[in-house]
Amino acid sequence: MPDDAERSIDVSALGPPEPLVLTLAAVEQLQAGEYLRMHHRMKPCLLYDELNRRGFRHDTRCASDGLCDVFIWRQDDAAAAAAAGRVTASLAPWTDA
Amino acid sequence: MRKRFVPYADDLPMRPSTALLSLEQTPPLAVPLRFFLTAPLFGVAAALLALWIGPEHMGSRWQPGVLAFTHLLTLGYLAMVMFGALFQLLPVLVGVRLRRPLPTARAIHLLLVLGTFLLVTAFLTDADGWFVAAAVMLALALGSFILVIGHALWNACSVHETVCAMKLSVTALGVTLLLGLLLVLAHVGSDLAPRDLLIDLHLAWGLLGWAGLLLIGVAYQVVPMFQITAEYAPHLRRWLPWAVVLLLITWSLSFLHLPALAWLPGLGLAMVFALFAMATLQLQRRRLRRLPDVTVDFWYLGLLCMLAAAGLWLLHQGWPQVLRLQQFHLWWGVLLLVGSGGAVISGMLYKIVPFLIWLHLNNRMQAAGQWQGKIPTMRQVIAERSARHHLYLHLAAVMLLFPGTVWPLLFYPALLVLAAAYAVQWWNLVGAARMYRDVLREAGVQD
Repeated sequence: MPDDAERSIDVSALGPPEPLVLTLAAVEQLQAGEYLRMHHRMKPCLLYDELNRRGFRHDTRCASDGLCDVFIWRQDDAAAAAAAGRVTASLAPWTDA
Repeated sequence: MRKRFVPYADDLPMRPSTALLSLEQTPPLAVPLRFFLTAPLFGVAAALLALWIGPEHMGSRWQPGVLAFTHLLTLGYLAMVMFGALFQLLPVLVGVRLRRPLPTARAIHLLLVLGTFLLVTAFLTDADGWFVAAAVMLALALGSFILVIGHALWNACSVHETVCAMKLSVTALGVTLLLGLLLVLAHVGSDLAPRDLLIDLHLAWGLLGWAGLLLIGVAYQVVPMFQITAEYAPHLRRWLPWAVVLLLITWSLSFLHLPALAWLPGLGLAMVFALFAMATLQLQRRRLRRLPDVTVDFWYLGLLCMLAAAGLWLLHQGWPQVLRLQQFHLWWGVLLLVGSGGAVISGMLYKIVPFLIWLHLNNRMQAAGQWQGKIPTMRQVIAERSARHHLYLHLAAVMLLFPGTVWPLLFYPALLVLAAAYAVQWWNLVGAARMYRDVLREAGVQD
């Protein structure tokens, strides 16, 4: 179940470059203890390098509707990582079809 | 209570990211753009050449004028765009960095331009020297392209179906090139190759193998990504490219050794491409964001022409008396080269070029420490209305070319409209490149 630590963004009906730009803008606004849950219709391959370079960790999971959920938190934020981990534990890891 | 970002809400709580996007995997803009900006000029040249030659010399696929016209479209337009697209997509999709992409692209582009002109001159003059020169130039152009792109593809870690389709497509390009070189040898008097049999093989491996497979592979990526659709079904993605190749091999062998049975794999090929077209139309019909989009309309036109080409082939196989052989060849060529290939490629260009302009502008401006608010959106780079003018001209050209190949009276307007369509496309793409330069100049950023 989502909690107060979760901020979410649904970019599943947007085309490039909007999912990338909006997600990168959203992660920069994360407060301590917060993680971002990005909902997309596909695995956002170009996003991961950008997150790594900016100092974010991520975990890609299969959402309950079959689409893709990417959980993102600052790499030095243990509380956010733990909060994201509580949600991702109930979701299957994303596998490329 | 969950906090939620809502994209495009009036009180959008976000500013665009101010950090650089990674360009590590993306080649310089000049790499793909030189191919994309050159291609429509060859389309204009093809139409003007046909107008100059006149309908009396454009009535059969065997006439030199028709051969020159088709090679201006296949090499000058289709291959030109496909080369640029592969140079661009490969590093991003496969994650392999091409070594020295700019000089490599410059050299291959120059060789392809010169080779195409030489081949057209050879068809029109029927002089052996021009044929040999064209063969050497095109062997260098296509051969180097196959080596560079093939090396990257076979060293890729990715197992995505797009990579598989691209590998098969580049292999088919190699087969097409070899068959073309054999045809030149046969034409200049060598006994090495039986000419007539090879022509249909050359055509099938070029159009269905190289162009068809690449179209399928790229569609796996760009249709879901840019047209906001679901993914193609995984089993379809996996077997479709292999089915095309296996059917092409079977068709080639039966065409050479058991011509009476060649219709069977031919039927399979028609069904496979019809299935691909219908699967894509079905995805597009259910796209998530149903806003007017000229690129989707270009795809509709291209896929419907692909279905019509498959239907025309079936009609010709089942009831050959319905349509004269010459007429079938010309209409089939119009459907595949202008209707299908030309339209789908135009649709892709109207997404890829604005995206690349936006991406490179974004990074150039931010690298220079400039706020990115002045960067145009993708829809501002090439206006929907301008692209739609091209679409209507392209559609009119396809519709006019059918009667135009039968009645000389309509031949001239058909080719004039085709020239206008490619000219508008060139103008739209050049406008995008000009916008890139102007934005940088206004911001005081060196290009």
